[in-house]
Amino acid sequence: MNLTIDVSNKENTAYLTLAGEVDAFTAPKLKETILPLTREEGQTVEVDFANVDYMDSTGLGVFISALKSTKEHNSEMKLVHMQERVYRLFKITGLTEIINIESTVQGGM
Amino acid sequence: MDFQSCVNIKKEWDIVGARQLGRDIARKIGFGTVDQARIATAISELARNIYLYAGTGKVCFEALEEIDHKGIAIVAIDNGPGIQEISQVMEDGFSTSGGLGAGLPGVKRLMDEFNIHSEEGKGTEIRVVKWLR
Amino acid sequence: MSTLKLDLENYKELLKEYIRTKDEQALYQAEQFSKQSMQQKISPDEIINVHIQSLQEMYPEMPDYIQASLNFLLETMISYGVAYQEHQSLREKQLELKSEISVAANMQKTLLSTVKPEIDEIEIGALSVPAKQMNGDYHHFVYDDQGTLGIAVADVIGKGVPAALCMSMIKYAMDSFPEMRMDPSGILSSLNRVVERNVDSSMFVTMFYGSYDSRDHTFSYSSAGHEPGFYYHQDKDEFEEIDVPGLVLGVSAETSYTQYKKKVEKGDMIILLTDGVTECRQGDRFIEQEEVLSVIKSYAHLPAQEIVDQVYKYFERLQDFYLRDDFTLIVLRRNV
Repeated sequence: MNLTIDVSNKENTAYLTLAGEVDAFTAPKLKETILPLTREEGQTVEVDFANVDYMDSTGLGVFISALKSTKEHNSEMKLVHMQERVYRLFKITGLTEIINIESTVQGGM
Repeated sequence: MDFQSCVNIKKEWDIVGARQLGRDIARKIGFGTVDQARIATAISELARNIYLYAGTGKVCFEALEEIDHKGIAIVAIDNGPGIQEISQVMEDGFSTSGGLGAGLPGVKRLMDEFNIHSEEGKGTEIRVVKWLR
Repeated sequence: MSTLKLDLENYKELLKEYIRTKDEQALYQAEQFSKQSMQQKISPDEIINVHIQSLQEMYPEMPDYIQASLNFLLETMISYGVAYQEHQSLREKQLELKSEISVAANMQKTLLSTVKPEIDEIEIGALSVPAKQMNGDYHHFVYDDQGTLGIAVADVIGKGVPAALCMSMIKYAMDSFPEMRMDPSGILSSLNRVVERNVDSSMFVTMFYGSYDSRDHTFSYSSAGHEPGFYYHQDKDEFEEIDVPGLVLGVSAETSYTQYKKKVEKGDMIILLTDGVTECRQGDRFIEQEEVLSVIKSYAHLPAQEIVDQVYKYFERLQDFYLRDDFTLIVLRRNV
């Protein structure tokens, strides 16, 4: 049960590539990485979920925090390549309505 | 108060000087090897605190002689920024400089008496005593 | 001090014995000695010191470099000794905290306790089990003299003490607008504002609120991002997901919630739960929704309380009696 986080930058976008599980143990590390990125005005933070096969509600909390921060700092957040199980969590909680999510890998396990 | 001698702390090397002088005094008073080592370790912590957080200061030693017992007092004085939350730095596990056993709580454990006086912006004075048993 | 000294004498004897025989018996005694020393909180540098003293007494002619090297060893152990004492005191503090938390957990239990109402028309089964000492799940029943039953099921993100504190806040907020008890969408909108204002940005709450009118057997409900419940049709022996949209509490102050209404037929059941139920795991495998439903179905003939008890036991066993998340399950069944 681990999470690796890769960050790369290209023009105005910060790309976060996650691999592993986002849960109570790994969420603090993710939060530490993502929050500062959302504080840069005009920046888009794109998070790649292709290799995230589990996320719990603590993980959702991180993205809610990040979303609030983008609104405060005029930045943007986009979540891409989300697997169905993780997408379901965003869907149930109503967050798909207010977070930009692209779930191209939907259904793939 | 028999005599007092001080070591100025300006660079890391001065920590060694303070340990050396403190250990010599402790030995003359009659402390055994373990207690000498404990006293030296306490001096290290105090001197390192000065070096790291205040920049400069001094560590002074007094040989204590009372009717029924002898001991050593070590006083660390600096004019640094002072400590805002004394209770916080005295808390176990709080030390930012090292793991378990480091910092002022460690000094308190190594010695018999511990007194700290600190004023923000003015500096800190810590006086510790160990009695010969 | 006298018992300590005695032990030090003992150490010298043990050491002598070992140097003479080099056998396992003496080593075993050394182990016993170290355990006893720890019980008396003797630190490692103390033991080294005893070792040095014993050697000096046994070998007065000990070469100078051995003596020096032992002093060197002693010096390196002093900080370990301090660390050992600190460890002892932290352990005591930990015990203290543990007992404080258990007091708090008991207070929480009393504070958040809810009485399952006895109603002729509706049979109720309810169970909530915390994964840790403090429960981040919450459920509450209110039954008024008009024959309306209000049910709240909530899950605070995160576990332990922060989640529990947040839960208490919600409970008091709910108590402070009793006139809304039978207005699910209104109650969620009001709670949303409370949570949004008062809770840390990464904390949120999911809640399902329903009110059951026992006079005409209708169930009105709204959901704030809560794990969907199920409606069980007895005639078809089938489940239908109660999947209603709604944003979790505490994300956006201007959220409004849609209210839905459903007619409940005799023998039908409403099943409400938290994600502790749907996120059960067996090893690395997640339990699929169908499995949860088939387990519920297999107990559907039992009284409501027995259904929830049996379902819990089933998943507890499946997860080797280790809960990852708080578990709450509520079953309502129309009886007449």
